[in-house]
Amino acid sequence: MQTVAKLIDTTLCIGCKACELACQEWNDQEFTLGVFQGTYQTMPDLAHNFWNLIKFNERETAGGMSWLMTKYQCMHCADPGCLRACPAPGAIVQLRNGIVDFNHDHCIGCGYCITGCPFDVPRLSPATKKVYKCSLCSDRTAVGLSPACIKTCPTNCLTFGARDELLRKAESRAEQLRADGHAQAGVYNPQGVGGTNVLYVLKDATEPEAHGLPKDPTIPLSVALWKGPLKWLGTLTLVGGILGTFFHYVRFGPRTYEGQEK
Amino acid sequence: MPLETDRKIPRFDFGERAAHWMAAISFLYAALTGLALWSHKLYWLAFVFGGGATVRGWHPWGGVVFALALGVMFSRWARQMRLDADDRTWLRLSHRYMVHDESGLPEAGRFNAGQKMLFWMQSALALLLFASGLVLWWPEIMPRALRLLAIVVHPAAALGAIGGIIVHIYMGTAAVPEAFRGMMQGWVRPGWALSHHPRWFKEISRH
Repeated sequence: MQTVAKLIDTTLCIGCKACELACQEWNDQEFTLGVFQGTYQTMPDLAHNFWNLIKFNERETAGGMSWLMTKYQCMHCADPGCLRACPAPGAIVQLRNGIVDFNHDHCIGCGYCITGCPFDVPRLSPATKKVYKCSLCSDRTAVGLSPACIKTCPTNCLTFGARDELLRKAESRAEQLRADGHAQAGVYNPQGVGGTNVLYVLKDATEPEAHGLPKDPTIPLSVALWKGPLKWLGTLTLVGGILGTFFHYVRFGPRTYEGQEK
Repeated sequence: MPLETDRKIPRFDFGERAAHWMAAISFLYAALTGLALWSHKLYWLAFVFGGGATVRGWHPWGGVVFALALGVMFSRWARQMRLDADDRTWLRLSHRYMVHDESGLPEAGRFNAGQKMLFWMQSALALLLFASGLVLWWPEIMPRALRLLAIVVHPAAALGAIGGIIVHIYMGTAAVPEAFRGMMQGWVRPGWALSHHPRWFKEISRH
């Protein structure tokens, strides 16, 4: 099966936030009032019932300022930190088309995925005690529809399709931008998580932090340690402890004393 | 003076036994439910204890009960668990103890040096488990740096503690006959006391 992807060309985003609304509508999310921070940003951050946020970042430049509007949601990593950290089999699944989806019937609400995610995306619902995030509309893509955010985008900033194709498209768009004088333009597809199925075209790819994207996201070291060497060490401790004591008994027997009760 | 072999020597009073068994039961529960979440291969244990979400909800409370019970044990025993010069000699020669050759081993008091080491090891690991457990209990309000630390400290400390307890259970049952009755019913035979904890037996016999 082909890997699918979402391409976000930030240079074409006009900050209309139609994608936010479409996401809320399709996923049947109630809107909870947030805090007004004096910006155009709907909410300060993602929430368990708000999976798609346009971050309105301002940056001072030589000539004045630039307003960086960046759609933020689950990145659908090829090597998802949430999936690595999840202790409940089947609660987080990676579909064959690359979508990383949560299955709430199996979610136990431990929140390990929140810690495992290098993009800080999953959110725990205080009501259901389960964790939520963007599913790349797996219920739509499964029947050949494009995700709600993409369907609604009026500027073609968002496109959905085969990952290979979109990656080529992103590279050629970056090239076009460089030819137009944006020397730092490039594609955001961080390799620390094996690449992502959400791709960005950034006007300045050398500084993704300005867009609110982590510079070099990787699987957290402690999660890798826990799921790697500690697994072996732990198994050795358990099996070694049980077999070791058992064979100690077989070899040396109990410690007895003179006059011991029979 | 010949030993009155039928005498019952009080070994642990009810308070000590109650604290020990509360700690034991809660540790066993926390350990088994914890192992369920530690490895997908052991996740079947979660179903034994009511399912993943139930385990996630109750495992921390098992830890709280364990911490309280261990706190009582600590306050009762910490003073008696101090290591002295004899204990250090004992530990240096503990390989002999393991093979039932006790030549050169100093006489043990109420607790031998091995028991003392287990006590300090479990107390230290319990402290780590409790601190990291609190962080993992409420991930939504804890700083990310702490969560990243706790996610590896908690299982590492737990596995160390479980390893220690496997040896402890073996020692308290199969390896040292009659020790179990000391912790269960609270008394031991004079011969047992003289053989396993001679210094302690002599001390209490003087009174």
